[in-house]
Amino acid sequence: MSVSNLLENWSQVRHAHPVDDKPHDPYKWAMAIDLDACTGCNACSVACFAENNIPVVGKERFQHGQQMHWMRVERYWDEDGREFPDQGFQFLPMMCQHCEAAPCETVCPVAATNHTADGLNSQIYNRCIGSRYCSANCPFKVRYFNWYDYPTDEMVWPAEMTQQMNPDVSVRSKGVMEKCTFCVQRLSAAKVTAKGEGRIVREGEVQTACQQACPTGAISFGNLVNPESRVHKQWEAQQVDLVKDKQEKDESDEKAVLRGYRILEELRAYPSVMYLERVRESAV
Amino acid sequence: MYRFLRFPILLVGLFLAVSSFAANNPQPALTTEDALGPQVVQPIEFPHNRHAGLRNPADPTNSDPLKGGMEINCQYCHTYARRSAVAGIPPLQKCIGCHQSIESVRNKPRIVELFKYWDAKKAVPWKKVHDLPDFVRFNHERHIKRFVEQQDRPVQEACGYCHGDVKEMTVARRQKPLSMGWCATCHEKDHPVVAEGGTPIAGQAYWYSFQKPVAQDKSAVVKAKGPNDCWQCHK
Repeated sequence: MSVSNLLENWSQVRHAHPVDDKPHDPYKWAMAIDLDACTGCNACSVACFAENNIPVVGKERFQHGQQMHWMRVERYWDEDGREFPDQGFQFLPMMCQHCEAAPCETVCPVAATNHTADGLNSQIYNRCIGSRYCSANCPFKVRYFNWYDYPTDEMVWPAEMTQQMNPDVSVRSKGVMEKCTFCVQRLSAAKVTAKGEGRIVREGEVQTACQQACPTGAISFGNLVNPESRVHKQWEAQQVDLVKDKQEKDESDEKAVLRGYRILEELRAYPSVMYLERVRESAV
Repeated sequence: MYRFLRFPILLVGLFLAVSSFAANNPQPALTTEDALGPQVVQPIEFPHNRHAGLRNPADPTNSDPLKGGMEINCQYCHTYARRSAVAGIPPLQKCIGCHQSIESVRNKPRIVELFKYWDAKKAVPWKKVHDLPDFVRFNHERHIKRFVEQQDRPVQEACGYCHGDVKEMTVARRQKPLSMGWCATCHEKDHPVVAEGGTPIAGQAYWYSFQKPVAQDKSAVVKAKGPNDCWQCHK
């Protein structure tokens, strides 16, 4: 893409989704995370490391804020006056929210992060120049910068470990930003299979690594456009609408437990991840 | 005097010189001699022209190896192209499968070499000719499905879009640059997306979603561009 082409199509590169003339069809990948089921075991995070060739940076760099975990489990402590052993905490798995109007996309000087047709917030390592503006503008702080050349200089993966790396995912070098991709390598493999058979990807045909590893099934992932998908049903049942920045819920049905929400919705980033609020008392 | 200005002036001058040079030199044409890949030395000099080349009409028995080919379909040996991401190199069994019953060439040096590998139970260490960078996701199956199965184009033509005229080569050599700009030249073209009879070609509706309005020429054939979002091809 030449510079003139880029400038000519600037409005397209900065396209905020969804819009009326370009609906998500046939795919819109989305997620729902049930915080009531989450036990904070970090299996999702480990699975993500294994799937996406993420370097383990070590304790010292972690303390410097140079951690690389695309999927992190945040802890929130209740402030209800209880002391430590009894003071339970709540967990919240946090990864790139794949916002429809992503704040990171608008600020990238080289358009290295932009939207794909199926509603993913893509990150192109080869185009990234490492300005880190996207990370500064991300309200969820889910973008991670390669401060070091982990694969070569740092030898994060010694020779005997290179065989365990995922060949479908690039190994990132120094100076590029990276983040959760919703396991795009699995999505495109599933799409190729489906397209070859002349259909769209079926519900359950594709899983993200975190979803696959979650022992309690707290994470569900799928095609929001497909009315048969679990994600679509969950979003609908919780009356969470992708295109709204403030959910108006009809609470007339007393049986319905409405606990779906999206994080920092008021910022109008339109995230693609819905969380289901915890209902039980925090873990003790 | 004005000594402090020397360096900035030098910089400005350099910038102007470089930018004027750059403005006068648009990107080189995409298919030049430079686009040719390196000459890869293979363990056995495999004659693609003999296998895939066109038959010599003057020689119906196909007896002269220098004059005509066998017109073998590319997919007979590169059988994985139509059902997986990689085209694959045929196993030695496939070579032997035919050659054990072709007595006439059995004593030719290349075939003798081939049978040495077979007797030693070793695979032929073919070298890779078309090597894409590791960050690229290219799928043979999609391209074969689209051009050969859906649009019924000849196999050699469809393969030739990227691999050149292999039936004219002995050992294959890269003919096209296989760069991103080169891929995009094709993906930016308007291709018909509706087969005859108005049926959309499988699943291409989602192409539209990131595209400019669909081009429709006089023949009322609906056209669209190839997939062009970055994650389609980049890992």
